[in-house]
Amino acid sequence: MIEFIESGLFTTVQDLGRTGFRHLGVSLAGALDRQALILANRLTGNGDNDAGLELTAGNMKIKFHRDAWFTLTGAQYEIRIGDRQIWHGWRSKINAGDILQLRGPLSGMRAYLAIDGGINVPVCLGSRSTLMSAELGGYEGRTLRSGDKLTLGEKRSLSKPIGAVQRGYSNEIRALPGPEMALFTQESRKIFWSSQWQVSNDSNRMGARLSGEALALVEEQSLNSHAVMPGTIQVPPSGQPIALLADGQTTGGYPRIATVIEADLWKLAQTRPGSKVQFIHVSPNQADDANYEWEQYFYRLQRAIDANS
Amino acid sequence: MSVTLQPKLFRFGERALVLDCACISINFSKLEIQKRIWSLAKICHDSGEFEDIVPGNNNLTLFFKDSKNIAFWSKKLHKLLSNIEVQAETGKLIKIPVKYGGEYGPDLNKVAEYNNLDPQEVISIHTSTQYSVLFLGFQPGFPYLDGLDKRLFTPRLANPRLSIPAGSVGIGGEQTGIYPAQSPGGWQLIGRSAVSLFDSALTGNNSAQPSLLSPGDTVQFIAIESLNEIEEARLEAPR
Repeated sequence: MIEFIESGLFTTVQDLGRTGFRHLGVSLAGALDRQALILANRLTGNGDNDAGLELTAGNMKIKFHRDAWFTLTGAQYEIRIGDRQIWHGWRSKINAGDILQLRGPLSGMRAYLAIDGGINVPVCLGSRSTLMSAELGGYEGRTLRSGDKLTLGEKRSLSKPIGAVQRGYSNEIRALPGPEMALFTQESRKIFWSSQWQVSNDSNRMGARLSGEALALVEEQSLNSHAVMPGTIQVPPSGQPIALLADGQTTGGYPRIATVIEADLWKLAQTRPGSKVQFIHVSPNQADDANYEWEQYFYRLQRAIDANS
Repeated sequence: MSVTLQPKLFRFGERALVLDCACISINFSKLEIQKRIWSLAKICHDSGEFEDIVPGNNNLTLFFKDSKNIAFWSKKLHKLLSNIEVQAETGKLIKIPVKYGGEYGPDLNKVAEYNNLDPQEVISIHTSTQYSVLFLGFQPGFPYLDGLDKRLFTPRLANPRLSIPAGSVGIGGEQTGIYPAQSPGGWQLIGRSAVSLFDSALTGNNSAQPSLLSPGDTVQFIAIESLNEIEEARLEAPR
């Protein structure tokens, strides 16, 4: 069991999300930076879909009630157990009774804490991830608070620390043109790909709101409601795009100008409000190549982990 | 004039395919198209090749487990759609008790005034229609209903409310519906239901259905008199 002495500002239980229920209006949810959660889980001896904690900001103090191995990935945090400083991206051991202290983020936006055995909250609709808008999954469907206690899954047998280099962040985010790209004026299409978009303060797990020069349609028209998904960049009448993230709603009616590729969605999740991103137009083949690069990264990682255990 | 119209099929992101039937809406009613979409969704579901299958208004989005199968299904879908047999009524009829007006429906009088009706007429028109659930979205269990009587069309509020209670029944433009959970909302609220539209606790096993309504179901609102009836209805909510 782990106990939250300080919970941080916005800490939730997340796995890789909830599939199979989008036709009922249930969002995918799950880690915003999926690759960081998978990395933390692999290093900690967990399955890719085991639940970990997603940390957004603030100081945290977590008391461990059993010996455990843990790894923090994603956004950089200062990590301490008592006076001992722990490396980011390395699995480390903590003893029962000790307190893990986290301060940050120093850079990036969202960190992932995996603990061996995973966080053992009940499975809801096939997933342990928290969907706050519907108050379901995770721990009571909400963010964690001081005093909350979470149980852990079965201990893994691990013997020594091991770490990995995370892939580098850039603010260039690759995207495919969306179904309604052609409805925008030529000028707006050019602006979309060529300008730097600022991530606004209203961004949350549902979507990253972007601000910049307003985009305009050739002519006003109302669309039939259609499915949307994490990565969909939709443009409401204000002309300021919204890139949907994991908790984004399942259907919408705004024109979809583009879709962030799966391999780069993590970059959007790691961009802080106030910072800028630029979208890079790619083809479906380039998107496939980008996914393949991630597979290769995890393949090499797994070989290194296997060789060291 | 005779026009052969094929639904449009296009790729969406890396792993989704969209079937857009908007261009065949000249030949068929909204509900007839939607029935084809439900039938197609069922065939696709049974294939086991999809992570999620989301019907929209006049369209269907298929999320593939493996994007390598997109080319194969692109060819197959056109064939399936032209040969599809629309199934006989498969949905269920769900009656939803609503307490109209007063504190539960703060905009009932406004809707009545806007349409030159008295509040009782609004209730009687709203309850005399059987609405079809076209699809679910926005929130878990939120139904997009077809069939609102033209006499009740009312514009949305100029300023949406920041929070409206779960179970609120409202009219927004040409649509009517029920909010499953507390949320912000811009619709004119005419009543409230105590029926739970979505219950994630009912999902211990795979066969359980967390959503009261599914695409293809029919909804009828029933006017009730008191809060007690609402509470009783909550206990007897069909599922």
